[in-house]
Amino acid sequence: MTALLNPTPGPLRQVLAEVEAGTPTVAEIARRAGLDEVVVHAAVDHLVRSGRLESRELSIGCPPSGCGGCASAGPEGGPGCGRPAPVTGRRPGLVTLTLRRRPSKD
Amino acid sequence: MAVTEQHTRRLDLIVPSATTPSLKACCHSGGGIGAGPDAPVVALVGAPNTGKSTLFNALTGSRVTMGNWPGTTVEVSRGIWRTTRVAATCTCEECTCDPEENRLEITLIDLPGAYSLDPHSPDEELTRELLVGVPDDERPDLCVVACDASRLANSLYLVAQLRERGLPMMVALTMMDVAAKRDITIDTDALADVLGCPVVAIDPRRRAGLEALAGSVREAITQPPAAPRPVPATSDQLELDDDRFAWIATSVAAGTRAPSEHPRTFSDKVDRWVTAPVLGPLIFLGVMWAVFQVTTTVAAPLQDFLDGLFSGPLSDGATWLLDQLGLGGTWVQGLVVDGLIAGVGMLLTFVPLMALMFVLLALLEDSGYLARAAVVTDRLMRSIGLPGRAFLPLIVGFGCNVPAISATRILPSARQRVLTALLVPFTSCTARLTVFVMLGSVFFGAYAGTAVFAMYVVSIHLVVLAGLVLRRTLWRTMGTEPLIIDLPAYQVPTLRLTASVTWVRLQGFLKTASGIIVATVCAVWLFQSIPTQPGVAFGEVPVAESAYGVAAQAVTPVFAPAGFAQWQTTSALVVGFVAKEAVISSWAQTYALDEPDGSDPGTLGERVRVDFDTSSGGHPIPAALAFMVFLLAYTPCVATLAAQWREIGPKWTLFGVAMQLVTAWVLAVAVFQVGRLFW
Repeated sequence: MTALLNPTPGPLRQVLAEVEAGTPTVAEIARRAGLDEVVVHAAVDHLVRSGRLESRELSIGCPPSGCGGCASAGPEGGPGCGRPAPVTGRRPGLVTLTLRRRPSKD
Repeated sequence: MAVTEQHTRRLDLIVPSATTPSLKACCHSGGGIGAGPDAPVVALVGAPNTGKSTLFNALTGSRVTMGNWPGTTVEVSRGIWRTTRVAATCTCEECTCDPEENRLEITLIDLPGAYSLDPHSPDEELTRELLVGVPDDERPDLCVVACDASRLANSLYLVAQLRERGLPMMVALTMMDVAAKRDITIDTDALADVLGCPVVAIDPRRRAGLEALAGSVREAITQPPAAPRPVPATSDQLELDDDRFAWIATSVAAGTRAPSEHPRTFSDKVDRWVTAPVLGPLIFLGVMWAVFQVTTTVAAPLQDFLDGLFSGPLSDGATWLLDQLGLGGTWVQGLVVDGLIAGVGMLLTFVPLMALMFVLLALLEDSGYLARAAVVTDRLMRSIGLPGRAFLPLIVGFGCNVPAISATRILPSARQRVLTALLVPFTSCTARLTVFVMLGSVFFGAYAGTAVFAMYVVSIHLVVLAGLVLRRTLWRTMGTEPLIIDLPAYQVPTLRLTASVTWVRLQGFLKTASGIIVATVCAVWLFQSIPTQPGVAFGEVPVAESAYGVAAQAVTPVFAPAGFAQWQTTSALVVGFVAKEAVISSWAQTYALDEPDGSDPGTLGERVRVDFDTSSGGHPIPAALAFMVFLLAYTPCVATLAAQWREIGPKWTLFGVAMQLVTAWVLAVAVFQVGRLFW
């Protein structure tokens, strides 16, 4: 069963447009797009899973996943900066979401 | 993962009957299906962590077999759900039916968690194949989709896809207690209307709603599925997904009731202020000022105690011990007492300070405030036209420049990587902090925290200004990368996490102190022991006439306009090229060897102050500020240079060194020349 294409952008495209426009937080996207914040969160999660957004947890200093997740890690996964490995299993903190590729124009 | 024929054959075993079960009401007709091959098959599906497996366990009890799906490592559970053909409380007065005949056994399959029918993992691949990749007559008789009521929108994408395919299905709402705590109420009737399938609220942990679920399942497997949800005639995946999310948004709006359209949590209310465009940066600066003020004030007595310990009993004890061993007055005593104990010991006096600083930063990070600071920083980056993503390595740079340089790899374009790698050295790493704190204490007393804070403000301005200059000159056409930040809710910091993060960072500081600093101290001692005049023995030369002192005196005039043209000071800058932690140790080493004849040399701070007073012509405060600015702006350490060399190549690394040295010298001269007019 098919339906007509909706000419107005839906929540997913609205979220992508806000990301492209530089809206800095999920809460602000919800406010600006007039969407429920839970829908924005679900849309962001979906965009991350489908590879359109890149999610990256940020901790000041070292990646929470340990030295293996650090760009300066050695070939064997050891610390490349001379510092000991950070603790893992921390609670969710700051997460950045970056647009990975441009949404379709058509 | 490709689903093989073996999978399908296995499915035949799990879904043994392709017949539509015919349920018959106990009071109005008899017979019906029993357990075994004729039992209806119900599949439990849903995203991970929606309570699906809890529901499965509640329904099946111990009547479960578990194991990997053939040919895969994906675990699938199968169990028998024993229920009744009609509601357990049959109220028909004339009922004479046999309870055995009323018994209904359902084969229940707990499929692997899946967010959607678009698989991204072997688990999701298997779920997809068992639901839609097999012939119609081998599919489950009913799909029960477990949906998290507290995050309903996240669960409905799978529902949307199942509805498009017209599969017999219903929704079991879990996590209702969590939703209630968030003041979210679900209107199951309204939700069922808009979703086009039955919806039942359950709490499998308390076994609540299971009877209602059984009733809905009994009804659903006897009814034909609802007509498939219409989808746009397009092959554009984004278009399809967008349509599904429009349906999800409509469903959430129709089926849920929140206290207001946008309920404002505590985090929302605080964020209104701390992420505001103007007030946000001011609050951030205020918080950081408080951190530095508290750090320098509280740690000062501990620092003084440790300073007295290293320069007094420890040095005296080591001297006595070396005397007993017959090594008193030899080069060994110079190396151990004036080198290692003076140099490393002085650095170790900063351990309480660093620990306190790391505790405060960990508290800010764990509470969620630093995430807000990132928003403020990101906004600043955008406003000056720098790539938004560049703030990631720059923030890391305030911890250590080396991983920050490596973190520039996250930037997609080579120009952005080069630009950011050139800006990272201007971020004030924790190694510089020790020098700032020492000079702040010596020259600014009670305002030491403010002086240190000022260096961080200068650091931010350096990043911004250098970025603007480079963008306006070298890379005018650089594009920006969009980026959003998902802010975590504020939370009470935990003792365990704060302690462990602090310990990890303190270990890093101590490791540097015990590794690079010891090596640097030995190298400095070696050069300070090499005479430049004939007839003087190794290790018995005055420091000013050693290779170290003579080399330092050669570069000292360069810093005369900046007010710190004293060879002891400039030699520390040269050593600081190796690592900034070595600045203080080299000072301690130099002054320990360079004592005036028989006079009390005073503390390290006092001697540094005297030298600055001399070199600046009576303007020690602007000279100290100029020195701190120079220290902030010039090359952080050789490890950073090595990282830059690896990431952006020799040409840009050398360009960066030249840029940093020129910037540092110009700023230091400007600070001193302007400052001497006031102090």
